[in-house]
Amino acid sequence: MIPAPFEYQRVESVDHAIQVLSDEPEAKILAGGHSLLPLMRVRLARPSLLVDISRIQDLKYVKDDGGQVAIGALTRHHDVANSEVLQELCPIVAYAAGEIGDPQVRHVGTIGGSVAHADPASDMPTVLLALGAEMVVRGPDGNVRNVPAGDFFRGLFEPDLATNEVLTEIRVPKTADRGWSYLKFHRRAQDWALVGVAALAQNGAGPAVALTNMADRPLRAAGVEEELTGGADPAAASQRAAEGTSPPTDAFASAEYRQELVKVLVRRALEEAQSR
Amino acid sequence: MHGRGVIHDIEVAATEEGKILGFRVKELADMGAYFQLLTPGIPELGGWVYMGPYDAQAYWYEFTGVMTTMTPTDAVRGAGRPEATYVLERAVDALARHVGKDPAEIRRISFAPSHADAKPSLMGLQIDSADYLPAFERALELTDYEQLRKEQAARRESGDVKQIGIGLSSYIEMSGLAPSNILGALRYAAGGWEAAQVRCQPSGKVTLFIGTSPHGQGHDTTWSQIAADELGVHPDDVEVLHGDTSITPLGMDTYGSRSISIGGAALHVALQKIKDKARTLAAHELEVSEDDLEFEDGAFRVHGAPDKVRTIPDLAVSAWTAHDLPEGYEPDLTATATWDPKNFTWPFGTHVCVAEVDTETGATELLRYVAVDDCGVVINPMIVDGQVHGGVAHGIAEALYEEVIYDEAGNLVTGTLTQYLVPSAAELPSFELDRTETPSPTNPLGVKGIGEAGTIAAPPAVVNAIVDAVSHLGVSDVGKPATPERVWRAIRDAKGGPR
Repeated sequence: MIPAPFEYQRVESVDHAIQVLSDEPEAKILAGGHSLLPLMRVRLARPSLLVDISRIQDLKYVKDDGGQVAIGALTRHHDVANSEVLQELCPIVAYAAGEIGDPQVRHVGTIGGSVAHADPASDMPTVLLALGAEMVVRGPDGNVRNVPAGDFFRGLFEPDLATNEVLTEIRVPKTADRGWSYLKFHRRAQDWALVGVAALAQNGAGPAVALTNMADRPLRAAGVEEELTGGADPAAASQRAAEGTSPPTDAFASAEYRQELVKVLVRRALEEAQSR
Repeated sequence: MHGRGVIHDIEVAATEEGKILGFRVKELADMGAYFQLLTPGIPELGGWVYMGPYDAQAYWYEFTGVMTTMTPTDAVRGAGRPEATYVLERAVDALARHVGKDPAEIRRISFAPSHADAKPSLMGLQIDSADYLPAFERALELTDYEQLRKEQAARRESGDVKQIGIGLSSYIEMSGLAPSNILGALRYAAGGWEAAQVRCQPSGKVTLFIGTSPHGQGHDTTWSQIAADELGVHPDDVEVLHGDTSITPLGMDTYGSRSISIGGAALHVALQKIKDKARTLAAHELEVSEDDLEFEDGAFRVHGAPDKVRTIPDLAVSAWTAHDLPEGYEPDLTATATWDPKNFTWPFGTHVCVAEVDTETGATELLRYVAVDDCGVVINPMIVDGQVHGGVAHGIAEALYEEVIYDEAGNLVTGTLTQYLVPSAAELPSFELDRTETPSPTNPLGVKGIGEAGTIAAPPAVVNAIVDAVSHLGVSDVGKPATPERVWRAIRDAKGGPR
C-alpha cells in the first residue's frame, strides 16, 4: 500500500518534460495520477522519478480542427464529457468520458493518462479504437508521430510510447452523422467494465465495434464487423463477438461469462447505434 | 476477519396448504483458522431465531463449527441472525413454490399470534412481545403487492428480457444483548448490564455520564432527548459524556443493538431517582407532603395552588447550596443507576424487495425496497430511520456484492476494497420505511433495538426477489452474493444449458 521511494519533478513545458525523461529512463509521467498511483501503491510500477506535467496549460483543450476534433492530452475526463464540441461532433467520446470512474476521478484523471496507461479494462481506449483515432506523440529533437489507435495499444499497459516521448493530443474523427453506442457493464457505478462495447453504425465508413476488457488490449470485433459488412443484422453478427478474445477470469467474473456477455452487449450496442 | 460463512441444511414441515409446522436446521459454520472474540458464539445467536415469526410446533437446531485454513469469522452486524433469517426466509419461499401458493399467503397463515407479554419459544428464550401481521400487511400495502403481481404476470406473458420479482422477508431478531445470567451460561467473559449517572448542575444544565459509548449511533441526541423529556429541560441544556472511564461509570459496549434498551433503561432509572429526590426537596421547600405535588414539564406544583412551584433547575441549586435540606438528605441532585435486562428485546418486521433481473446478462437492479420494522417505542425517528438505512444497505451488500474469495492456491483475491465490493448510494434504491409500534415489556422505555434489523432482513428479501423474477424459467436457487454471473448461470442451468 506504500509506493517504493521516488523523486518528483514538475515541468513547465512538453520540451522540458522530454528533456527530463531523456535523462532518466526509469521516470514516468504524472498527470492526474489515477492510473499510475494505484499501480505504484501495489508496486507494480516503481518509477525512479515522477515528471509532473499537470501544470502545462497548453495541453488542456478540445477544439474543432478541420476534419477532426483535437483533444489535449491533459484534458480532464469531466471536461471531455462536458465538451460541447465533442457532444456535437463526436458524442461517443463525451459519453464514454462520463462513464469513467466517479465524479472525483473524472475531475482529476486525464484522457491522455487513460490512453497512455493502455489498460484493456479502461473505456476510452476502446472508444478511440472503434473511432480509428490518432495519438499525437512528441519526442526529442522536435519529432512528432501520429499513431493510429490500432497500432498504439500493443498489450497490457503497453502503449506505443518510448520512455522519452509524451502523448500530447488525441485526434478523433467527426461522427455526428453516425449512430453510436458505448455500453459498459459493471457491478458498481464507479467500477471498471466487466465488459464494454463501443459501436459505430455503418455510414459511408464501415461499421466499427471494439471491446473493453476482452483481451490484453482493446480489441476490434473483426468477426462482427465482417458480418455487418456482409449485411447481417445485430443478432446474427453479435454471435461472433467472442471470436479472438481472451478475457480474464478474476474476482468479478469468469472468462466464460464474459465471452457470453459480450455477445449480448454487442447486439444491444449495435441496436442502439443503428437507432440513433 | 469477516462474518457469515455457513452452510445450511434446513427442513420445513408444513401442511399441504403451506401452514408451517416445524423446522429442522443443521448448520456447518466456518470458524476460520482460530477463534476471535465470539467466533463459536455466532451460530449460537442464530440458534434462537431459526423459527422466525412462525407458529411452528417443533424445532431442532444443531451446528458444527469447522476449523479451516481461512480467515477467522466473527460478529458482523446481526451476527448469527442474518444467517438464520436468510436460510429460513429462502426456505419459506421454497415452500410456497412447492405447495403452489403465493409466498405472502403462507406467511400470513403461519405467523405466531400476537402477545404483549413474554412468551416462551421453542427456540429456548422468551419473545418479549410481538404482533407480526400488522407490520406484514403494512409492508404489502406500501408495496402495492397485488398490483406488482399483475405486472409480473404481464412481463412473464410478454417474455420481456427484463423480469421482475418480489421478495418477502419476515424476521424476528433478539437485540439488547444480553441478560448477564445468559451471557454467563454462554461462558461469555463479561456481563450485560449498563450504567448511567445524571448530574443536575446548579447552572440549570444537566450532565449525563453514560457507560455505553457510541461510534456513530447518535447517542448524544437520544440520551439528551430522554433526559430532556423526563426533567423538562431543553435538549441543548443536556450534555452527554461517554467513552472515558475516568469520568463515566463502567459499562459494556455498543453492539448487539443494546444501547437503547439497556443503557437507555439505566438512564431512565437514574432519571426516576433524580425525580424522586427532587420531589422530596420540593415538598420540603413548599412545606407540603410529597403526595400533594404533581410533576409536569419539569416542575413540581402543589395540587390546587399552581403558583407554588419548584423546577428541576431550582431544586438543583438548593440541593447544591445545601443551605436548607430535609433531615438526612444528601446534598447535590445527582443519581446513578445500572440496568441488567431480564430478557432480550425482540424486534420484528417485514421487508419487501422488488428486483428487476436482466435474463440475458444476469444483472439485477433493485427497483424498490420497502421496510416495515417494529422496534417498540421510538425515541428519535430520524435515528431509527438512519439505522434501518444503514442496515438495509449492509444487507443488500451481502446479497449482491460482498464476498470473500480465495483462489485455488488459497490466496485471498478480495483483499482490498477494489475487489471486495462495497456498494454506494448509486447502487441502492430509495428505501421506503414505515413502522408499527409494539412496546417491549422488557424495559421501562418500551424500546427494542434497531441497529441490525436491516442487515438481518435484507439478504433474503433481495435474493427471494431475484429467484422470484426467474422462477418461471425453472430457477429455484441463486447463490449469494447474487452476482450477474451467478444469476446468469442459474438461468442457463435451468434451461438445460452446460453445467
